[in-house]
Amino acid sequence: MAGLTDLSSVSVPRTGSVVEFPELPTRLGCAASDIVEGLGRYWLWTRLAHQDMRLRYRGSILGPFWQTITTAIMIGSMGFIYARLFHVELENYLPMLSVGLILWQFTSGMINEGCGTFEAVQGVIQQVKLPFSLHAYRLVYRNLLVLAHNFVIVPVVLLIFPHPIDWLRLLVLIPALVLIVINGIAVSTLLGMICARFRDVPPIVGSIVQVLFFVTPIFWLASSLGPHGRWLVLNPLYCAIDVMRSPLLGQPTSPHSWTILIAVTVLTSVASFLFFARFRSRIAFWV
Amino acid sequence: MSPVSFLRLRDVTLDFPIYQGSSRSLKKALLASSTRGNLGRDAAERVNVRALSEVSFEIGNGDRLALIGANGAGKTTLLKVLAGVYEPTQGRFFCSGRVSSLLDTSVGLNPDATGWENIILRGMYMGIHPGEMRALAGGIAEFTELGDYLDMPVRTYSAGMMIRLAFSISTCVPPDILIMDEWLSAGDAQFLGKAQRRIEEFVRRSSILVLASHSLELVEQWCNRGLLLHHGRVVTIGPVKEVVAAYRQLMDIATPPDLTAIATAV
Repeated sequence: MAGLTDLSSVSVPRTGSVVEFPELPTRLGCAASDIVEGLGRYWLWTRLAHQDMRLRYRGSILGPFWQTITTAIMIGSMGFIYARLFHVELENYLPMLSVGLILWQFTSGMINEGCGTFEAVQGVIQQVKLPFSLHAYRLVYRNLLVLAHNFVIVPVVLLIFPHPIDWLRLLVLIPALVLIVINGIAVSTLLGMICARFRDVPPIVGSIVQVLFFVTPIFWLASSLGPHGRWLVLNPLYCAIDVMRSPLLGQPTSPHSWTILIAVTVLTSVASFLFFARFRSRIAFWV
Repeated sequence: MSPVSFLRLRDVTLDFPIYQGSSRSLKKALLASSTRGNLGRDAAERVNVRALSEVSFEIGNGDRLALIGANGAGKTTLLKVLAGVYEPTQGRFFCSGRVSSLLDTSVGLNPDATGWENIILRGMYMGIHPGEMRALAGGIAEFTELGDYLDMPVRTYSAGMMIRLAFSISTCVPPDILIMDEWLSAGDAQFLGKAQRRIEEFVRRSSILVLASHSLELVEQWCNRGLLLHHGRVVTIGPVKEVVAAYRQLMDIATPPDLTAIATAV
């Protein structure tokens, strides 16, 4: 009451004494404009992602290519040992491992880092009003940069161990990457919100991703499962890797990989959007 | 600049959920929800603190409003509502005009980047395109008077230098509404004078200033209106001198805050 009676003493009412407020947009509307406004600020999140990369490798002469070297060494050492263990030819095994591992780092990186989408930037969230979607774009773009640095290895490996590549088929890499990126944005937004609210979730996610690494055919061949291999498509991460790996290696894509990937993308996008619309205004309190 | 800028609040209430301990745990929340009927309390044992309670006021062109109140009265929370960081739990908030908020000196600054790089970076956080920001950088640098220090990483800056940099960047484009927290008063007298002249210039061009500060001197010098907050409620609002007097009176007779009144377990 005190506030209301004091109103008269403070300001010059320009539009009569009735205080006017515009129609409030719906939650869904707010969420949608947040997503669009975030995209419009591309110059901010691309710049921040580049800055993240620079800071991560600050002080090393190689800069972000340190990442490339690390991955190359890992592929090299794993390749020679596991090719022996599994009794497979190095020329078949190493390209499969390289492409698979690089794509795995990309997809799992977005999931793991997605736990901190909002928490990692809490200082910014609590001080400046920015579209929340911007933080997810930054995260996904940063992982795309890591992918680009790692991907240098792929042509080198394919030059050493040539594979029959259908160049026209490589065009499917574009829609595949688009689907994975959409998934990345959806998952990092959803996980970012859940993990900001419930602090015991990130370790659970970490454990699940670790298990997934071993059940996804990255360092072992899907064909070695025989007829049971058809169940692999139930793992969305396998589908994501499969749609990009098989064209690069000139191998057939598993029959349901595309269907499942598209279905999962629709599912995560819808779930993430609804969750985002409902809880967007709570994020500032959670972080 | 939009012809009419204003801040309008009606019955704005903000409940701050305090998450700690078990309320942060998904496992606890899930386990508790299955037995909620028996326990009869919030599954997450969440405590809400009412940081703002039914705050209503309106300020318009040329108003310089000072938020006055003891620690924990809700000044910073109110500033964050005005800056759009927190959405009110209840009530309505409507603002017209471009808002520039200086809540924290270090936000958007990368401590390892130079002053020049940070001018661009912070400008981007304010929503200004880097190309535009580069054109403004010269004027900003001049206003900071930091000279060659701008070529050094900002982690080497003193608190006063950070204030110079942050204030200069945040006010590089005349905002319609400028929202400032009390850190500004830590600047040196010479810079404060300069900052005040810049703000006066804004206000002459009918911008709005909202400033939270404990420095009653600064407040009387800079502002024409005052708003006294106590435990998240508006005690009084009016000409700054009267409100400062009311604050002095309140502080003399103030009793320790009654915790049960402001914190309610849900």
